Amino acid sequence: MDLTFLSSMFQSILKGLPLTLNLWVLSLLGGGCLALLLNLMRQSRIGAAVAGSYVFLFRGTPLLIQIFMIYYGLAGFGFIRQSFLWPFLREPYWCGLLALILNDAAYTSEILRGGLRAVPKGAVEAGRVSGMSRVAILRRITLPLAIRQALPAYSNEIISMLKATALVSTITLMDMTGIARAAISETWRAVEILLCAAVIYLAISMLVTRASAWAEARLSPWQFGRTTP
Amino acid sequence: MTALTPGQTPALSVTGLRKNFGANDVLRGIDLAAHDGDVISIIGASGSGKSTLLRCIPMLEIPGSGTVSVGADSLSPKGGRLTRAEEARARRMRGHLGFVFQNFNLWPHRTVLQNVIEAPLFVQGRSRAEATDEAMALLEKVGLTDKRDAWPAHLSGGQQQRVAIARALAQHPRAILFDEPTSALDPELVGEVLKVIRALADEGRTMLIVTHEMGFAREVSSRVVFLHHGQIEEDGTPAEVFGAPKSDRARAFLSSHFDRNR
Amino acid sequence: MGDIGLLGFGPDGWGLVLFRAGLMTLAVSVAAFLCGLMLGTLVAWGRVAGNGPVRALAEGYTVVLRGVPDILVIYLFYFGGRQVVAAIGTALGFPGPFDISGFVAGMLAIGLISGAGQSEVLRGAYQAVPKGTIEAGRVVGMGRLTLFRRVIAPQAMTTALPGMGNQWQSVIKESALVSVTGLVETMRQVSVAAGTTQEHFLFYAAGAVIYLIITTLSDQLFRLAEKRSLRGHHGAGF
Repeated sequence: MDLTFLSSMFQSILKGLPLTLNLWVLSLLGGGCLALLLNLMRQSRIGAAVAGSYVFLFRGTPLLIQIFMIYYGLAGFGFIRQSFLWPFLREPYWCGLLALILNDAAYTSEILRGGLRAVPKGAVEAGRVSGMSRVAILRRITLPLAIRQALPAYSNEIISMLKATALVSTITLMDMTGIARAAISETWRAVEILLCAAVIYLAISMLVTRASAWAEARLSPWQFGRTTP
Repeated sequence: MTALTPGQTPALSVTGLRKNFGANDVLRGIDLAAHDGDVISIIGASGSGKSTLLRCIPMLEIPGSGTVSVGADSLSPKGGRLTRAEEARARRMRGHLGFVFQNFNLWPHRTVLQNVIEAPLFVQGRSRAEATDEAMALLEKVGLTDKRDAWPAHLSGGQQQRVAIARALAQHPRAILFDEPTSALDPELVGEVLKVIRALADEGRTMLIVTHEMGFAREVSSRVVFLHHGQIEEDGTPAEVFGAPKSDRARAFLSSHFDRNR
Repeated sequence: MGDIGLLGFGPDGWGLVLFRAGLMTLAVSVAAFLCGLMLGTLVAWGRVAGNGPVRALAEGYTVVLRGVPDILVIYLFYFGGRQVVAAIGTALGFPGPFDISGFVAGMLAIGLISGAGQSEVLRGAYQAVPKGTIEAGRVVGMGRLTLFRRVIAPQAMTTALPGMGNQWQSVIKESALVSVTGLVETMRQVSVAAGTTQEHFLFYAAGAVIYLIITTLSDQLFRLAEKRSLRGHHGAGF
């Protein structure tokens, strides 16, 4: 192995890290908000149908096709090219981010829904009989329990999104994977380059795993006594 | 019922059996032999080691030291592990035993009949027709012929335990071991299981029964063993153990139990 | 919106081509899933029954594949595979150029990715088999193999089915990434069609529908299998 090549490759791939992190964090934030919204919509019957079909569409198709549809597909509509959105939607960055947000929202809303469903009815009733308002019950009982319940699944989703950001390289964005891909066509030393990139992604995802294990332990101390038969 | 006859090989015996879980000595040197036709009840407080003793016989728990014999085979495992050769011998010994668990442990993915013919077919390699005929006879004995095609999950606890007994009988066992066979049952279902076990005793089957049902133990046993802290404290006929226990601990245990049951 | 007739099966339509691409998606997915199944079984077994080093290796594998983007793995197999094939080819004195089939690279790469997920599902399913039923098998004298075949595997399969269904869904979606190797499956074919006709939205939408059909149908199949395998459990009926 050629160490100087490896270290120079490592450095140039790291230049894509800010973009990767940017897309990752923003898509999680945007997706999380949208997921909450989707779950609130489920209160009404029409809202539930809309949320259900949204989740069905976005979870049933590959992210890659969603990215291409937004980046290439939307440009085909005249009214979009004329709208105020066009300055954004012609940029690969905004298209990529939008696709990631929409995709993440579908998966996160299902995770959140699972968490909400796991909240014991009795806990809510206990809140009601002790005179809490609906908002207080949501804020003090339902959401904390749901979030803690959903945490393990959500930490998987966080890592999935990190990996998902790599797909924006297909629409010319120079994130870590984009840089690696370009370097491969220049040097044809694919294995070394790809290993460099993989190591960086792996390091970040292992940090997330650690952090989420810590968060789980912090947020749900009672679960440690839970393994009684 | 056979009294201890010197020189006759017992159906099953343990000598010097010891077992510890970490720092906890559960069995501290147990000697016990069951001759053909013996019905031995093992009683004692929870934590006295009686279930562990029973589970050591088919090597579900591997003893730390001591010897377990079933018929002509015997095993003296060292250090809580079995070697490959010992594992093979343990399997042969299990083939001569029937074991009935507290929680039945029926195979949920097999019907009642399939549970009973599983080992005859896939362990002993008997023919399906023969195994099925015999299984039907066993199901009749436990009163469940009409449930032959039911799934275990659709049966009551008492019915499941009766199937488990039929499954144990299909082993053609030299001895049957019962590990608290009625402890997981609702009170109204206990009777049907005890009735089946009593019928087996009347047939002259060799049985070891770990139980909390003192009245039952007194009635069916040829011998009663009282275990305390991993040692045998009392060993005698029901009349001796229940009527005139020698140790204070046995007396205390028995009085509390009979108070509770009456 | 563009001309729907472009999706027809006539001489000017892309229908037949897209249909074939859909079959290719299915083919590469099935091949990859089976690769993953073999690998996943092996790894799950290593994690459950292996000694120290085997277990560490198996765990390392799942950690790495969980943390690295799928597309990098596919690139690695495609470009790396080409490097390997070229090195071997040159060493053996064959004239170049050398190439590795996108199908093989994709199948191996996605199989490797899916194997990590499948091993988790299988391990969980194994651990969910009630211990008592295993003891009941040992007590009647079953050996390891009989115990696995007659007691553990049938029960674990039932528990594993929903998880395996999810893994299969993931494989279908990941198969779209194989398009980067030039393999003409659904994703690749709709890109080509979109570029040729300049009807981007139409063709990507058509591609999305193809994936939806595959994912929905296979979801139904898995549900059916789950229902059948659940007979006997928890009074679920037949």
